[in-house]
Amino acid sequence: MKVRIKSIEYYLPPKIENGNSLIKDNPDWCIEDIEKKTGIKTRHISAPGQTVTDMAALASEKLFDSGVDKKSIDSIILVTQSPDYVLPTSSCILQDRLGLTKACVAYDVNLGCSGFIYALAIESALIESHLINRGIIVCSEKYTQYIDKSDRTCRPLFSDGASALLVEPCEDDNIGPFELGTDGSGFGNLIVTVDKTQTAETGMPRNRLYMDGAKVFMFTMDRVPKCANALLDKSGKTFDDIDLFIFHQASKFVLDNIVRRLKLPEEKVFVNYPQVGNTVSASIPIALKDAINEGRVKRGDQIMLVGFGVGYSWGACLVRWQ
Amino acid sequence: MVKISEKKILETIEKALELKKGFLTLDTTRGNEPKWDSLGHISVLSSLDDIFDGRIAGIEEMGTVKSVRKILWILEKNSLV
Repeated sequence: MKVRIKSIEYYLPPKIENGNSLIKDNPDWCIEDIEKKTGIKTRHISAPGQTVTDMAALASEKLFDSGVDKKSIDSIILVTQSPDYVLPTSSCILQDRLGLTKACVAYDVNLGCSGFIYALAIESALIESHLINRGIIVCSEKYTQYIDKSDRTCRPLFSDGASALLVEPCEDDNIGPFELGTDGSGFGNLIVTVDKTQTAETGMPRNRLYMDGAKVFMFTMDRVPKCANALLDKSGKTFDDIDLFIFHQASKFVLDNIVRRLKLPEEKVFVNYPQVGNTVSASIPIALKDAINEGRVKRGDQIMLVGFGVGYSWGACLVRWQ
Repeated sequence: MVKISEKKILETIEKALELKKGFLTLDTTRGNEPKWDSLGHISVLSSLDDIFDGRIAGIEEMGTVKSVRKILWILEKNSLV
């Protein structure tokens, strides 16, 4: 599609948790073992009372501080699964807080780790069809609000944060194709239940994140390589044509296995999970920004982005960096 | 397709769980081996998938298996041993 990612910014809350924070609350945990397997050393935790919209606004304002004209924005997609309210949609609150025009389209996408890819597909399609001209995609997540301090499966992984990214039309085909998919049979393996009936049936705690780590891992190991291969088939490219792979920053054991399954050279795979943790939908844009800052992305580079997780849902796309 | 021996599978699980050599038996379960927790199980799945060249990922029941004996039974059922 004749669309490009113009700029990216992100916000991570200043409060950082590390292995010492985990062991303080859980003296029986073997932190060395957890860190060795997850690869995650530090995670960012939102301040008490800080909302998804607060973080989204901070990331978006950075975008505008870098010279993007607010009046030129006619679309916001906010990707989140931890919205401020059940309703209204958080993107409406964000439109007002950012002082964007009332002609601006605003809506939330309720997807997790695949959400950024879906939002990029939607925004690019809207631009290409001239329904909008210039849009921002904001991914903001506060999964830590769903996680108990003693949850050994989830707490060492998830981190809070937000990203904001500007998408606009251009002359060249820079974004696409996309490979998107769903398998709702795995919905119960990564879930936050809010309904009493659901809780009684499943025995899961209310308003708490439940993850069956092994089943989710099996899903990623099976589906992500298929998704990446299908995208290459669709694009007529090979793995050698890709300059950099940016996967959802789930954890070391997930990414190591994807790299092993796809037989990718490690130097072509960007990771920042050790310092950032798993920020759900925000993880791919945050990693892309870090890769640019570290000089890992050059103009003209072909990048593969792959998101996968809760749902189950997955998505991948190619981006020619401009 | 080359089949993999039971001995090699036990060695692989043992290594994935970072157990001493010879410590793992057919009677080892997730209930009686503390190192076989949720993270340990992911290591087991990953290591087995590696030696079976990606054929474990598609076997859904491997995600919930709780004993060495059951792992071997599932692998045999899928003609992998």
